[in-house]
Amino acid sequence: MSSLVSESPPVATPAKRPTGEILFALVFVSVGVAGLVTAGSIPIPPSETGIGPRAFPYIVCGMLVLCGAGVVLQVLRGKVGQAEDSEDLDVTAKTDWVALAKLVGFVVLHIFLIEPAGWPVAAAVLFSGAAWSLDAKPLWKVITVSVVLALVLQYVFGGLLGVSLPPGPLLEGVAFFHG
Amino acid sequence: MLLLEGFSTALQPVYLLYALGGVFVGTAVGVLPGIGPAMTVALLMPITYALDPAAALIVFAGIYYGGMYGGSTTSILLNTPGESSSIVTALEGNKMAKAGRGAAALATAAIGSFIAGTIATVLLTFLAPVVADFAVGLGPVDYVALMVVAFLTVGALLGASVLRGLASLALGLFIGLIGIDDSTAQQRFTFDNPTLVDGVDMVLVAVGLFALGEALYVASKLRHGPVELIPVSKGKNAWLSKEDWKRSWKPWLRGTFIGFPIGTVPAGGADVSTFLSYAAERKLAKGANKAQFGKGAIEGVAGPEAANNAAAAGVLVPLLTLGIPTTATAAMMLTAFQRYQIQPGPLLFENQGALVWTLIASLYVGNLMLLVLNLPLVGLWVKILQIPRPYLYAGILVFAALGAFSVNFSPSDVGILLVVGILGYFMRRYGYPVAPMVVAMILGPMFEVQLRRSLQLSQNDPTALFSSPFALVVYVSMALIFAASWWLRRRQAAVEAAPVREQVSV
Repeated sequence: MSSLVSESPPVATPAKRPTGEILFALVFVSVGVAGLVTAGSIPIPPSETGIGPRAFPYIVCGMLVLCGAGVVLQVLRGKVGQAEDSEDLDVTAKTDWVALAKLVGFVVLHIFLIEPAGWPVAAAVLFSGAAWSLDAKPLWKVITVSVVLALVLQYVFGGLLGVSLPPGPLLEGVAFFHG
Repeated sequence: MLLLEGFSTALQPVYLLYALGGVFVGTAVGVLPGIGPAMTVALLMPITYALDPAAALIVFAGIYYGGMYGGSTTSILLNTPGESSSIVTALEGNKMAKAGRGAAALATAAIGSFIAGTIATVLLTFLAPVVADFAVGLGPVDYVALMVVAFLTVGALLGASVLRGLASLALGLFIGLIGIDDSTAQQRFTFDNPTLVDGVDMVLVAVGLFALGEALYVASKLRHGPVELIPVSKGKNAWLSKEDWKRSWKPWLRGTFIGFPIGTVPAGGADVSTFLSYAAERKLAKGANKAQFGKGAIEGVAGPEAANNAAAAGVLVPLLTLGIPTTATAAMMLTAFQRYQIQPGPLLFENQGALVWTLIASLYVGNLMLLVLNLPLVGLWVKILQIPRPYLYAGILVFAALGAFSVNFSPSDVGILLVVGILGYFMRRYGYPVAPMVVAMILGPMFEVQLRRSLQLSQNDPTALFSSPFALVVYVSMALIFAASWWLRRRQAAVEAAPVREQVSV
């Protein structure tokens, strides 16, 4: 039986070296420490008769430090976290850091494009960039889809639903892209 | 009588159209793989920004039920079940689909959801005003007790790792602290940054964690190649047979009465109820039917699906009457309500009775529409499931960015979204549940206000927190819930291990 069980689908492989996991747990600890340090400078109004505005921050930050430290201890003892599962996930695959960096980069680009170029342009860039980062082919199809999607969203949200998305200099004159 | 007034609003043709739209969009988005109900509500929030409150609530009622149902369609039809919330449906539903009975599985899920949703909404209709009447008499000490229970169940019980759940909870509480203190108007953790003075908007955190975090996480390990779908067979044999009806109706009812009570207490909402219902059906099945468990038993789809929907209605009881969200989806609903200056709580039924009853009436309507829409539209959902993954995740990114931008029409909010999204990525990667963070962020500020009020009333005597009989009852039940969950967890591990073994040994 046991030999059969081992043939069951592969489970998420935990990171080989838990360095990343320890670093992430330390993020919780450092946020907590930073919070504990700065909480002391929250002003307390003289009229305050209760526990004041500092007590709850101290509790929460203390909890962050304790939980983060606890996770570090657990990981060092070999109890690593169980990565989340999802439908489109290949749990055996290696992390594709390049794709991740591209996606983050395109979101940043999107942020800086919204105001100067308008929302539809920024959205089309984000969509085509993200799809390209995830290996969508061919490129002309990606770009066509993204332009159509951006215009439809601008029309539905900016025009029909009255969400004021800036149409940008290119589409400024087209009435139905505004609310 | 008030309900009838609600119906008279909800049944106006325009509002019926809104309800239809909400159910349709909710299901369509919920069907998308990787998108759970909480993420559906978070992603679809912008579509209601320009609507009047009644219309927005009606749309949300539709999205709420549609998103729930959409998830189960995914787990029945997609070859790779994943999300924990629908894992129980996947256990049997996926096997049924592989055996060519996908249409029957979808039908028993749809009809079961409808029956359970309707019964549960009736229960909600009668229970909510009673609870609200009772809740008017609750003091700050009692609220502190209720919220402690909500925190601990969401943070400690639901994930695989207690410490990581509590860490996620603490981080949510911390983000909730950023901004101006409600009681003294002092700035806390704003570091003199003007964008932080108003606090971090809930929508940014939720969309960042659920949508952006999930998209980044899936992108990092995307399954390449064609999407494996199980074809839905058509024809006479595919539909529910007399035998199927006979085997389904009891699980539907049992699921309803398991799901609703679990939804109403802060003990984990839908997930726990589906598991309990599955375990019950497995135990009650006899003979040949019992042997089918693990290979596609219809009871194993009918019961949990009903329980899931009944719990979804049950969750609305504490949400509407106490203002306490007990699941991430409920936290999202509360955020949506607050955008329209609707503050759920004991006074909601008095102050905004017309709106609440419209909401409840539209739950009935939405439920019926779900049934009417879903059976004929299965083909469309299958098409949606086949969207090439690069386009799907690119689309999720665009929608997340749209949602974040339209909160205040400020590009820097999209920056906050990105930071939270990266955080969400690492939380998934290292096994931290994100739901506690979302719930804590919304409950934290309310909790602090009540805690400080209780302590002020008692001149800072902490024993006062245990002085009210109601609070004591709550704490004792919490201890019982923890004991029960410890027992359940062991059972769940056993049940989840069992079907895998059977499948392999065949």
